[in-house]
Amino acid sequence: MQDLAAPIASVPQAHRAVGGAWLGYLCGLAITSACTAIAFPLYPSVASVNIVMVYLIGTTFGALRLGRGPGVLISVANILAFDFFFVPPRFSFDVEDTQYIFTMAVMLIVALVIANLVVNIRRHRDLADIRERRTSMLYAMSRELAVARDTETMAAAAVRHVCAVFNSTALVLIADERGLLTPTNQAPASRPHNHHSVLDYDPDLAQEVVARGERLISDAVYLPLQGSRRVKGVMVVRPQSDARAGAQALPTDQLQLLDAFAVQLAHSLRRARLAEAAEAARIAAERASLRNTLLASISHDLRTPLSAIAGAGSLIAQPEYALNSDRRTTLGHLIERKARDMSQLLSNILELMQIESNNGAPRTDWHAIEDLVAHSLRANEARLAQRRIVLDVPADLPMVLVEATLIVQILSNLLENAAKYTPPGTTITICAAVREEHVLLTVADDGPGLPPGDPQRLFEKFQRGRAESNIVGVGLGLAICRAAARLHGGDIIAKNAPEGGARFEITLPVETQFDASPPAEPESLQN
Amino acid sequence: MTEAMHVVLIVEDDQAIQNILRMLFEGNGFRVVVAGTAARGEHDARLHRPDIVLVDLGLPDRDGINVIVGIRQWSPVPIIVLSARSAEPQRLAAFEHGADDYVMKPFSAPELLTRVRAIVRRHVRGPLPMGVLELGDVAVDLGRRVVRSGDGREVRLTPLEHRILETLARHGERIVTSAALIKEVWGPDRDDTRALRVYIGSLRKKLEVDPSRPKYILTELGVGYRLVIDPEPSDT
Repeated sequence: MQDLAAPIASVPQAHRAVGGAWLGYLCGLAITSACTAIAFPLYPSVASVNIVMVYLIGTTFGALRLGRGPGVLISVANILAFDFFFVPPRFSFDVEDTQYIFTMAVMLIVALVIANLVVNIRRHRDLADIRERRTSMLYAMSRELAVARDTETMAAAAVRHVCAVFNSTALVLIADERGLLTPTNQAPASRPHNHHSVLDYDPDLAQEVVARGERLISDAVYLPLQGSRRVKGVMVVRPQSDARAGAQALPTDQLQLLDAFAVQLAHSLRRARLAEAAEAARIAAERASLRNTLLASISHDLRTPLSAIAGAGSLIAQPEYALNSDRRTTLGHLIERKARDMSQLLSNILELMQIESNNGAPRTDWHAIEDLVAHSLRANEARLAQRRIVLDVPADLPMVLVEATLIVQILSNLLENAAKYTPPGTTITICAAVREEHVLLTVADDGPGLPPGDPQRLFEKFQRGRAESNIVGVGLGLAICRAAARLHGGDIIAKNAPEGGARFEITLPVETQFDASPPAEPESLQN
Repeated sequence: MTEAMHVVLIVEDDQAIQNILRMLFEGNGFRVVVAGTAARGEHDARLHRPDIVLVDLGLPDRDGINVIVGIRQWSPVPIIVLSARSAEPQRLAAFEHGADDYVMKPFSAPELLTRVRAIVRRHVRGPLPMGVLELGDVAVDLGRRVVRSGDGREVRLTPLEHRILETLARHGERIVTSAALIKEVWGPDRDDTRALRVYIGSLRKKLEVDPSRPKYILTELGVGYRLVIDPEPSDT
């Protein structure tokens, strides 16, 4: 595979690798001289027919190594040398015996035929070589494109391959619905000595490529990335090796190869676009369904605590009711509790709205799971005072790329639920572990377990485990958990543990495996 | 009681909250000064030299952040933000501009009082001793970069762990934002929160009794870290 990285630019000219064309002809003359030098001492002990053979070997060899032009030169030069050195009278181009004319004519024809055949064979072999290299280069790119999931990654992969294969700088521009082009992230130059890693291109020319849908060549090659209906983008390639000659000098076969690369990329981009559109549709649908259920239930859940607060306030404020201080205290607590419930509901609603309106992009940073778990335990310390907490969070877990507040919110909601729905003395276990590409977070208790019915329904908005329960809080907690988990590309499920009790499992994708042990510090700092 | 001398400045425009806070603090031995606008608040801070300032972020004339910035230009007085804004960027901005704590509305009166008292007490006590930090049974000798646990065992701090701990200690018990911490420890060119998290983790292993439930090096979610020398008993 290593040879793929080598520029292809020199391949079609491989048969001239000996040097310039003139060097080939010089070598041709050298071969003739060599043949003469070999044959000269043999004559006259060896018959002149066999001397001819020596020259024919020279012709065959020369044509094979040097190509057609030098091959013809050798053929002619050999005849002349044979005539001069061996045909009597020797050391003159005169011919005594006319039958030698015939010999030399046959010799010339045979030599030319051999040269031609040999050169044809070579050209076929070279072409086959080039085709094979092209196929494998295209294959290398398409393999990388196949695993890329978004436009940016695909464009970057294509740029990298094109840069390496054509020894050039390249840039992919993506067209929006109106056909306006924007450059994708320019991948860092694949070669360290690449001075202009940022390729400047002619925007007008690129737009013209979009409009016309065909390849244009100026100082660089502008290739259309043809979608199903319109041009989806433009790939700009500027050869680096021969800056003065520029793109105009690119041979046809290289242009064809570039076209093949562009077609391959366009195909992959189309796939990425379809996937992106499907994802956007899914997010939009989820957002819409949330809003509907939310509105339907908010008024009820806000009005109930509000009427309690208003009632309690009016009781306290009436002097003629002459409430004793015990009753005042009770009413005060009631007001506080109801106000808190409402505040909690509002926070939950805001939180959900925010997750949904975030356009699917959490504000992520790297966090240690241990830290997030500790934080959520701390935030719920008072609530959990009468529960036993068991932690199983290994210190060597990989870090996760998450929005910390959301993950803490998930854990807090689960802990809060565990506190609400289990009797004091219950054990709550929090586990974290790596499962393949995921981090699995589990919050389990040994309480009464989940209510009968499909546990996954608990994650729907305004679902509460027991319909007729006076437990405070609104059925948004688990909905938030699910929205937050899914926003991270993970999920959450609920089940009853076989040994009893409720069990919630959160999966979060591990973006990059990261060694949690401290990176080595430079020795110089150690003292 | 010495507490009777403590002056609390409340910069808050809502009449009801003003009244509640006044009742709460006057009933607990503080002298209370109330300012309804940012301008008034900055003026009263210079006039009354409060021991602690409570600032609401949504003030009629200017954002409460301005009050923090104004006071921080000349005074290290502890400032607690009292706000209904819960979004992470706003909390981060408040801490970056020099707030000491951030209390979310609706607040619980007893909890607010506890936090105010703790912050005033720490402030009166002055900056942390930079020689040896006593964290429960564990003593950290910042000069020798050594952690000595209760049973006399000594563990060395790596240079980076030491620099992080020293930076946290230098800020007293104030929150240090992750960005500021990275800048002070690694210099301005690094932006690697992963490395910071790793070293915080290894520091906790050396300092905390239970590193999975830290008591001394606390994470302030989405903001940064804070070193707490004498943690409040959790059941208050």
